[in-house]
Amino acid sequence: MSMENLESLKDLWKNQGESKIRYSQNDIHKMVQRKSSSIVKWILIISLLEFILPNLIFLFTDFDSTRIFYEQYGLSNTMLIYSAIHIIVIITFIYVFYKNYRNISAGSTVKILLGDIIKTRRTVKYYIYYNLTIMGIIGLNMFYAVYNSVSFQNSLETGTSMLMIWVISIILLSLALLIFWLFYRILYGFFLRKLKRNYAALSNHEEL
Amino acid sequence: MTKELEQKFAKELELHQNIIHKVCRSYTNNEAAHKDLFQEITIQLWKAYPKFRGESKFSTWMYRVAFNTAISLYRKTKRNVETTQIYDNLKELEYHDYDDSADKQLKLLYKAIYSLNDIEKALALMYLEDKSYKEIAKTLGISEVNARVKMNRTKTKLKNILNP
Repeated sequence: MSMENLESLKDLWKNQGESKIRYSQNDIHKMVQRKSSSIVKWILIISLLEFILPNLIFLFTDFDSTRIFYEQYGLSNTMLIYSAIHIIVIITFIYVFYKNYRNISAGSTVKILLGDIIKTRRTVKYYIYYNLTIMGIIGLNMFYAVYNSVSFQNSLETGTSMLMIWVISIILLSLALLIFWLFYRILYGFFLRKLKRNYAALSNHEEL
Repeated sequence: MTKELEQKFAKELELHQNIIHKVCRSYTNNEAAHKDLFQEITIQLWKAYPKFRGESKFSTWMYRVAFNTAISLYRKTKRNVETTQIYDNLKELEYHDYDDSADKQLKLLYKAIYSLNDIEKALALMYLEDKSYKEIAKTLGISEVNARVKMNRTKTKLKNILNP
């Protein structure tokens, strides 16, 4: 049989015997009991960790000294507002994530399923970006409060440039946020590379 | 009720398992990975089974879930053989080991399918199964026109791999 003609391959395909690997009904019953190790399960685990971990930092902070620090620089009310916003934002993100997660179904069309998984993961991406932004804003807010405090101003040697202090502070803050962002990009890409490639392969303008 | 449903499911799956084996053989390159993928497809089929209302044939629905698992849900646990190596094996088989037996031809065909990308694999399988463009489009979730364009490209690619 020639491999030249693809039509003739259909006969070859149809006439192939049963697979050498065969499972009995009993085997299938056992398989059904096992746990899935699908990408969706991993996305759920990793995402929940990502929701929880940034907030766990609070558990390791010394509450009293933090409170004294906030009071010293008049940040107590500001931080309270940030906390309230943060809780609302987290609940909203978890709700959206859960809704997207529930939508994922192996019975969908291939394209819809790929899209649904990517969408679920994207929610977490935005959550991380929100966290980085809020960290940046709080950081700047703290710098401002500390640098403008009387105690800090008094401790400065004469001739110290405030502009220089600000530039260095912002560079260090940006660097810290950039490292977090890069780390996250790698983690995000690790899970989605294959899915994004397949999604692109299904869209109209992609070269197969 | 669940017990009954599970029994019905196991019975149908046992009967139609060859469909899944074909998908597994196309998406993996060793027996361990084949079995691993079969396991995951079975779990996904079982999870989706209560929602299967018989709006399509059981085998059509199985195809969709099997492709979804292979394309989107399955995470390979072992590194796969590099594509170049597959091409080498292909040539080797053709020049040194060539005979007309259907089995050898089938092996070559599976190797060729394996070297395609994930979406092309699904297209090639559905072509060989003689599925209509309507069904292909419905399974993948794309338009029939798009399905035709992609199918033509896949066929050309498959032809080039089989006849280098």
